[in-house]
Amino acid sequence: MSEITRVALDGMGGDNAPGEIVKGAVEAVRLRKDIRILLTGQEEKLKTELAKYTYPEDQIEIVNAAEVIETAEPPVKAIRGKKDSSIVVAMKMVKKGEADAFVSAGSTGAVLVGGQVLVGRIKGVERPPLAPLFPTLKGFSLLIDCGANVDARPSHLVQFAKMGSIYMESVMGKKNPTVGIVNIGAEEEKGNALVKETFPLLKACRDINFIGSVEAREIPYGAADVIVCEAFVGNVILKLYEGVGGALIKKIKSGMMTSLRSKIGGLLVKPALKATMKDFDAGEYGGAPLLGLNGLVVKTHGSSKSREVCNSIIQCVTFKEQRINEKIREAIQTSQEEKEKNV
Amino acid sequence: MEFEKLQDIIADVLNVQKDEIKPETTFVDDLGADSLDIFQIIMGIEEEFDIEIDNDEAEKIVTVQDAVDQIKKAVD
Repeated sequence: MSEITRVALDGMGGDNAPGEIVKGAVEAVRLRKDIRILLTGQEEKLKTELAKYTYPEDQIEIVNAAEVIETAEPPVKAIRGKKDSSIVVAMKMVKKGEADAFVSAGSTGAVLVGGQVLVGRIKGVERPPLAPLFPTLKGFSLLIDCGANVDARPSHLVQFAKMGSIYMESVMGKKNPTVGIVNIGAEEEKGNALVKETFPLLKACRDINFIGSVEAREIPYGAADVIVCEAFVGNVILKLYEGVGGALIKKIKSGMMTSLRSKIGGLLVKPALKATMKDFDAGEYGGAPLLGLNGLVVKTHGSSKSREVCNSIIQCVTFKEQRINEKIREAIQTSQEEKEKNV
Repeated sequence: MEFEKLQDIIADVLNVQKDEIKPETTFVDDLGADSLDIFQIIMGIEEEFDIEIDNDEAEKIVTVQDAVDQIKKAVD
């Protein structure tokens, strides 16, 4: 039997907690015997939710944490002040090696701060980026960074490109993944100061497959496997992507309901449309990992339902099996050694 | 003693050489630390010395000596 992956799951985080979180945990252990879940949060509430299901009970353990970090709380203050919260308790388990991974649908800020401060960065990693996968016409791409570090420096973006490439190759199985930097034109001299400074550094990297600038409109067509940008830009791209997708579906649906003829047509294309939409459903890909930490930290959407929670938990098995952190550590070490040699 | 331990924590978090860290060194201007780095250093101090530094006091830390003073105050 394969090795067990221990996942510390924030039972209290997210718009649909604890109901959908607990349901997602149950779905995950029903599907996989190689997962053990340490569910952190208010014991009584979690017990009540768990009692609704039959599942292999030895695979889910409740770890009591009396406090809850709310989304609106300032993250640094929350992590410092609420030591008995579901997020802090779970992250400390990862730090101590009692859990292999942490999954949360809770406060993004608290997860990012806690990941960096409690779990800790891999030595040499300047900033850990949040890197979600998102659907494209060619399959999927990785958007890195989409919300962890505003005001990034060129050296941060270079590390994002390296970590993203390792992730796409190791976890998603893309051989020699292409890397593009988000820009407002294809030419090297285009862009703001950050992009202009980063471009030649990426071009000089021998360990990534850099293909140059990528304009936002090319991203949905699968212009590059790894899309590098600073967090502000990444977050705007991600949210606009979701918004345009949602609005388009709504418009198509209302168009189909305008006449009897369009309703019949709509009924005929419904199965094909449904299958297509499934490919474009970000929930299929689980959560976004915070890369470059001394442990696995996965942030799933605040509005996650059980399916996304379940996928995020299962994703942790692949992360562990593929030794993603170790590979990042090796890559960062190698580039630091090269840098020292050149000094 | 506090200073040496603090040097270790700062060097580890900021990935800088220990000899770059002197009492008069400032976290932001000299070592390029941001608010998260400082927070991480303070958490490291609290863990290492088994003390708690008040949020308001933590915000006043600018130099390495400020941090040493906070540790001494909390230990006493």
